[in-house]
Amino acid sequence: MAEAAKTAVYLCAGCGIGEAVSIEALEAVATGESKASSCRRHDHLCDDAGVATIQADIDSGAAERIVIAACSERVNADRFRFDGTPPIRCDLRERVAWSQPPGAEDTQMLAADYVRMALAEAEKSAPPSGQADPGTSKTILVVGGGVSGLTAALESARAGYQVMLVERASDLGGHGAKWSKRMPHRPPYRLPQDNDIGALIAAVTAEPRITVHTRSRVVSTAGGPGRFLVTLDSGGTTIEETLGAIVVATGWRPYDATKLGHLGYGASPDVVTGVELETMLGAGELACKSDGRRPAAVAFIQCAGSRDPDHLPYCSSICCGVSIKQALMIRERVPDSSVYIIHDELRTPGTAEAFYRAAQAAGVIFMKGKVSAVGADLTVTVEDVLLGETVAMAGLDLVVLATGMMPNATAPEAEAIAPQPAPDIDPLAPILAAGATVPEPGSEDASEDDSGPEIGSILNLQYRQGPHLPILADGFADSHFLCFPYETRRSGIYTCGPVRRPMDMAESATDATGAALKAIQAIEAAAAGTALHPRGGDLSFPRINLDPCTKCRRCTVECPFGAIDESDDDYPVVEVARCRRCGTCMGACPVRTISFENYSVEMVSAMIKAVEVPDEFAEKPRVLVLACRNDAIPALDMAGISGTRYSPFARVVPVRCLGSVSALWISDALSTGYDGVILMGCKAGDDYQCHFVKGSAITQERMGKIAETLKSMMLEEERVVTHEVAIADARRAPELIDSFLDTIAEIGPNPFKGF
Amino acid sequence: MAGAETATYDLGFAKWVAGNISGADKLSMCMQCGMCSGSCPIGTQMDHGPRKLIMMIRAGMRDAVLSANTLWNCTQCYNCTVRCPRGIPVTEILQGLATVAVAEGHAGGEPTARFSEAFWWSLAKFGRTDERLVTSRFYFSAGLAEGVRKSRENLAIALRMIKARRMHLGAPHKIKRRKNLQAILAKAREIEARGAGEGD
Amino acid sequence: MRETPKKRYTYYPGCSSLGSAAHLDKSLRAIAPELDVELEDIEDWNCCGASVGHVEGGALPNMALSGRNLAQAASQAPDDIVTGCASCYLNTHGVNEKIKTDIRARRRVNEALGAADLCYDDDLQVRHACEVLVNDVGLDVIRDRVRNPLDGLEVAGYVGCQTVRPFADTDSGGRYDTYDDPAFLDNFAAACGAEPVAYDPKTACCGGSVSVHSPDKTLHLIKEIVAAAHDSGADVIATPCPLCQQNVEMYQAAINKRFGTDFHMPVVFYSQLMAVAFGLDGTAAALDQNMIPPAKLVDLAKKPNE
Repeated sequence: MAEAAKTAVYLCAGCGIGEAVSIEALEAVATGESKASSCRRHDHLCDDAGVATIQADIDSGAAERIVIAACSERVNADRFRFDGTPPIRCDLRERVAWSQPPGAEDTQMLAADYVRMALAEAEKSAPPSGQADPGTSKTILVVGGGVSGLTAALESARAGYQVMLVERASDLGGHGAKWSKRMPHRPPYRLPQDNDIGALIAAVTAEPRITVHTRSRVVSTAGGPGRFLVTLDSGGTTIEETLGAIVVATGWRPYDATKLGHLGYGASPDVVTGVELETMLGAGELACKSDGRRPAAVAFIQCAGSRDPDHLPYCSSICCGVSIKQALMIRERVPDSSVYIIHDELRTPGTAEAFYRAAQAAGVIFMKGKVSAVGADLTVTVEDVLLGETVAMAGLDLVVLATGMMPNATAPEAEAIAPQPAPDIDPLAPILAAGATVPEPGSEDASEDDSGPEIGSILNLQYRQGPHLPILADGFADSHFLCFPYETRRSGIYTCGPVRRPMDMAESATDATGAALKAIQAIEAAAAGTALHPRGGDLSFPRINLDPCTKCRRCTVECPFGAIDESDDDYPVVEVARCRRCGTCMGACPVRTISFENYSVEMVSAMIKAVEVPDEFAEKPRVLVLACRNDAIPALDMAGISGTRYSPFARVVPVRCLGSVSALWISDALSTGYDGVILMGCKAGDDYQCHFVKGSAITQERMGKIAETLKSMMLEEERVVTHEVAIADARRAPELIDSFLDTIAEIGPNPFKGF
Repeated sequence: MAGAETATYDLGFAKWVAGNISGADKLSMCMQCGMCSGSCPIGTQMDHGPRKLIMMIRAGMRDAVLSANTLWNCTQCYNCTVRCPRGIPVTEILQGLATVAVAEGHAGGEPTARFSEAFWWSLAKFGRTDERLVTSRFYFSAGLAEGVRKSRENLAIALRMIKARRMHLGAPHKIKRRKNLQAILAKAREIEARGAGEGD
Repeated sequence: MRETPKKRYTYYPGCSSLGSAAHLDKSLRAIAPELDVELEDIEDWNCCGASVGHVEGGALPNMALSGRNLAQAASQAPDDIVTGCASCYLNTHGVNEKIKTDIRARRRVNEALGAADLCYDDDLQVRHACEVLVNDVGLDVIRDRVRNPLDGLEVAGYVGCQTVRPFADTDSGGRYDTYDDPAFLDNFAAACGAEPVAYDPKTACCGGSVSVHSPDKTLHLIKEIVAAAHDSGADVIATPCPLCQQNVEMYQAAINKRFGTDFHMPVVFYSQLMAVAFGLDGTAAALDQNMIPPAKLVDLAKKPNE
């Protein structure tokens, strides 16, 4: 198919390319040895005339496949967009003209190789033909009717989308409806503000695009973006609905204060949690529970069960502000009261500093210290680090424990009897050689499905990875806060508010707006049949030729998004809407039967082999760099933009994710005479930055296998290295390449050169 | 100070200080950063630096605060005052506390208190401070023997001052309208004795 | 000759002008006419209470001391009050500002002053002589008046505390310099033709009145002040503060005894430098009143009269 296509090459001479290399010589490479059907040069290919030239060739039928040999694929994507004819981009600017000395022989060789590689890519790929039946539902399911869920629903509706809002309780509002005042979120940020959640509830109720289901829960979620099949139990009635995207805003619950006996909880009715104090403050006259007296001396104990390895290890971020709010309210209601806030570190960032100062000015006393005990008579024993003494505070009427927030990443009612599920990015699925024993479905499911049967699930996902939302640290259903906020590792399902990380009402509202926008993106991408972030716009998807398939299940197990499942006869089936097009399945497949129309094992092999490898006497080594498109490629681009020079002997092939790297590419490179291979991927581990969750982690696993391959080829292990490269590593990435070439110089040329 | 285990936090003293010591209305804004103590040239010789003294005020440790030598060792360099990020006039508050400490008998034989007594004696009696008279009154305020010892110890300095015409041996320097000044001072003491919030 | 209108100020000499800092008073009075400044003393001025008055006297009586001086000055002229003494400045300026901004303080002070039929209801400014030299006179005029440049005299500018703290960088204090690294004193020395040396402890504390009554507590502070000047090769320490001048000068013998040093570092007032630079003789500059004779400055003072 691709062999018959007319491939046109467009060589740009602008931005210094024309000065760095001989365009004429590249034309000869393109049309001569590489058999391009036509080749044009242009001084500024991205200008109107340049773009018009390309369009004219497409229109006349002279160009069926186009190779744009100009700048990085990361720039001018909008200029070089031709409907139905996606270009192959060949970077002669950032990776050649801007990072190599102009006019040098090695620079010319580098550029020529990139042209050859691009033509190989053109030959071995085709424009994606797209999906036959994309999902079409544009309704957003919002789970949770607190501040986050209400805001997500309202923002989605106001953007024109239908919303189904599901709330377990009989009323909307969640925790937020319980507070009589809220922390200030408007200038001058000094005093508690009236709780305006009533207006939010009214707006949601009045919004015609929102359908509210109270006393409801999700009993089953199947499908994927654009066609989630969701079953609700709504007050005993079963409702089935096809939905486009899901926002989970199930919020939080307070830490169980009965575990805080050492802080007096349970010993006296006048030791209460902050949440319980809210109820007391909302009841009008403030009165002690024991005898109804007005509390004249009140102590707040911050970090009660927080930042404590025996309880919650993290900071809930809002408790300092909440206690300040409550202290100010007590000072207002009981003007002659003494109110103490005993804290370790007081955390009042940003505008909360004004709130803290207002409390100081109002006479609230802040004490830095660790509370070791609270007696039944409310005597608080505190190691006051500012006085350097242990003191027993007597005469208190009320002790308030500022307890932390716990995420409702699982359904709350089952929490008491089950532990939190462990993060599901580990353990990695085992990497098996072709033909090796397939693990029993039962044992494999046990490692993937992290649910205990007794834990309630929010969505009851019908995914092979189990029914739960993935969680990151400390039970929060979060993802990387910078790289992919709101994402859950389940495509089309987003979280916002305190289920994601501890936050207050104002932050939750902002967060919900972000998640709503992500949900809308997912719906529109699903409808267009394209991938989600970060491969937005990609129409390709994995195509599996089942003939050679050994049913080894590695693709189904390793897919980070649960997009591949087994059919009844154990063959892999792709749920395209869930697929993120990372190619991890492709890299996993031992028989290489998974490919994308525009990305395949064969295509990259052809690119690798297209490079001209000089013999060992030329003393021009060659190194293959398989670089992740998300971080390593931008880092190398920035190196070029900043004019960083690095070795002309490296040949860079962008890959979708290190997870997509096939071991064949490495053996191809080494048998072709490359002296070594560098794999550049994203950060792995608990704080991973891989957009596809575990690409780098999988690669590290696979490196063991690659080392064996090297050994069998009698090659040194040092010839293949893996590095984690972040997007900001513009200085480091070229250094890694240069230092790898030093290593190659030490161990000598690849003995396979020339064979 | 009192046994640590029985200390009771009592905001009464902090409130009294805030209402009666000039500048102390800003004390509640202290965030205990320690800039004051870190800036104090003589902080290492204090029982408690200014930061801790402020915390002790909050904790209601009245006796410990008023008997702290912080009040007497302050050199009034004002480093703490100009550096305080919360604008608390620390020096002024220490001055006010020193006055209270003397009035309530916490000063004991503190040299600062005895020196101040000698100083005030001179200015109230003559309208001006006569350094020679103030110094000798101070020396002898710790007893005759100590007075003689101190006077002899500082004799060389005194002689050089006299030689440089910076200390005189004649009658004390006086203002003309001493009665007028003394009436003002007496009235001021009377007003102050009325206490805060009363009659004004 | 330039035609500069005379600037008039009401002058508050303070108690030290009659004793330990007589040479400050004398040299200030000597340089004033050279700078077209006219000083009229507050009539029958009294002590300001210095840095210890409040302890025995109490806050309000201490304020009333300044109140009497302010009332007297206001009755004489509406001119700004100027003083050369850091302590007098601190008290008088502080009380004056307090009276301006604190209605209760104003009422209480005036109630006390009423016992002598006095009242202070005016809006005077109380200023430090150094601030006046910087903001009203100006370095250019000082430089212009120099007839006997202090060539080769290396000066360690020791500002001390209360001259700049807490008012130098406030609106009421004229914002004439910083609290931690003031430049005015070095600028004065340079304007006089001397060479200001790099001197770290320029705003270090000499111990103030604590040094006067309990030098054992503070001798180490003074030692650092003298040692840094000695190490920087200074010929003299110059200071604006009477108490600094006295402490740093008179305790050098005790420091030498305790620390085994051999300091004989003269400590002079900036006004003495100016007097010599303006061509006045050593007597007018009161150089004979320094206990450690500033030999080099004395020599410079002889030059124009030879």
